[in-house]
Amino acid sequence: MSYKKHKTLKSLCLYGLCIFWTIICMFPVLYAVLLSFRSNNEIFAYALPFSIHTILPVQWTMDNFIAIFRDYNIEIPLINSLILAAVAIPCSILINGLSAFSFAVFKFKGKGILLGLFMLSFMIPFDAISIPLYRLVNSLGWVNTRMALIVPGMGNGLVMLLFIQFFRGIPSTLLDAARIDGAGWLKVFFKIILPLCVPVCITAGLMVFMEHWNSYMWPLLVARNDNVRTIQIALSDFRTEYETMWSYIFAASSITLILPLALFFPFQKYYVQGITHSGIKG
Amino acid sequence: MNNMKKHSVYSTVFPYLLLLPAGVLVAVFKLYPIAQTLASGFFEKGNFTLDIYRRLFRDPNFTNSLWITIKFNLITIPLQVVISFCLGLLVSSRLRGIGIFRVLFFSTFAISTTIAVLIWEKLFNFNNGLFNSMLIFAGLPSQGFLLSKTQALMCIIVITTWKGCGYWMIFFLSGLKNIDPGLYESAMLDGAGVLDTLFRITLPLMRRVILFVCVANTTANMLLFAPIQMSTQGGPQGSTNLLMYEAYKSAFKYADQQRASAMITILVLIIVVICFLQFKFLNSSEVEE
Repeated sequence: MSYKKHKTLKSLCLYGLCIFWTIICMFPVLYAVLLSFRSNNEIFAYALPFSIHTILPVQWTMDNFIAIFRDYNIEIPLINSLILAAVAIPCSILINGLSAFSFAVFKFKGKGILLGLFMLSFMIPFDAISIPLYRLVNSLGWVNTRMALIVPGMGNGLVMLLFIQFFRGIPSTLLDAARIDGAGWLKVFFKIILPLCVPVCITAGLMVFMEHWNSYMWPLLVARNDNVRTIQIALSDFRTEYETMWSYIFAASSITLILPLALFFPFQKYYVQGITHSGIKG
Repeated sequence: MNNMKKHSVYSTVFPYLLLLPAGVLVAVFKLYPIAQTLASGFFEKGNFTLDIYRRLFRDPNFTNSLWITIKFNLITIPLQVVISFCLGLLVSSRLRGIGIFRVLFFSTFAISTTIAVLIWEKLFNFNNGLFNSMLIFAGLPSQGFLLSKTQALMCIIVITTWKGCGYWMIFFLSGLKNIDPGLYESAMLDGAGVLDTLFRITLPLMRRVILFVCVANTTANMLLFAPIQMSTQGGPQGSTNLLMYEAYKSAFKYADQQRASAMITILVLIIVVICFLQFKFLNSSEVEE
């Protein structure tokens, strides 16, 4: 009896902690979404003194959403970011998948060294080399083009590791059988292995998507032009030295949030599998 | 016969062919810039020199920035590791509906740094932010937050921790799930308390995961850039001028690529040293047991 009581008390405490952290996580987001439904004047008018309307809108309005599309053409950077992800995901999966296939299935000279070199180079984060990389991309004439945003990040260590782990799990008898039947390696790769890869591809695709959708420093350096600018960069446009259009900022932010969250909630299991496999076991 | 030979040549070359696309990309867009970073910090007009570094360490802007970066990381890394470990423990418990909390905690990861910074900037805003509004309501003086020399760095720490902990939590969660529950049961039968179990069973078994998170977290935080560039621009009075931002300014505002490269080299060196120390520290505790 007392044990049971102790147990309920314990789970109550744990629920309390859970709710506490949920509030910390979610309140800022909720607050921002609520701000996107009010006019800028209202936000300022009710900021002080503190009341329920500091948080909750008095007059709900969709004007901000209309304005960011009509006056600021927010759809252009949104589409730009989508294009980037749409191109980068298959390229990254193909290129890193092929290398991973080579590392996982074949024996060849210098394999250990090559794999080490790949992984070591991936450990140096992209941001750390952004300055010389900018010079390189500039000399290629890629500044303010989509090439600059897609190509340098295409070789991705996390994606490669993910595929290596997966390929190692494929029974070699399956591959041998196909080979004896006379199928070439490329045929084996595309006909037998790729169809098995769907879950890994989803994980890798999600990772690449998040990377591109959310990246800030590199697009800031190489894509300032309106035609290629990504959504994260466009978000800071609503702030000038003289005024901050909070209502527009958060309307645009709310729209920008929808896609990663919509992909994140149904697929987060894949993501969790992905990062744990590549991180700890790799 | 001829065919056989052709075939074997093909199969020796084939694995390299598969590596070629990724290999070229890595060589051009990773190894070459890395080499260039190293070289441009040590060579001036073709001659090897340490002048750039000598100048750097005499430059108060740099030493201040270095000190802030170290201070920032000394607080942020332990803070994030401890909080995310606790979150991992929390969501690994077998409560009903814990899966929902797990997803909610993790979801801040899907929010971009840009948006996170914008939201927190509004909350921290001096004139009309929510926090100051609440402070005044509670009869307390309003705070400077991002405008205050003493508080700005703490605000940046809050933002990165808020955004980061859910992500690191996932690693701890999966590590905790791998621990045999039988161990906990027998410990409980032996009358071990919660703290005993934590220090004697959980932490030692989680060493590898902790190490991984520490290393990955160090790399991420040492190179922190976006929040600074967006909100404080290194200010007020240089109090949030992290090295990565100083390097960015050096390269793109003052067009001094050499100074930027040298700073990045130092930054990467610090990362390597910290990771090495973490390896050593966490592995030596393995030997003791």
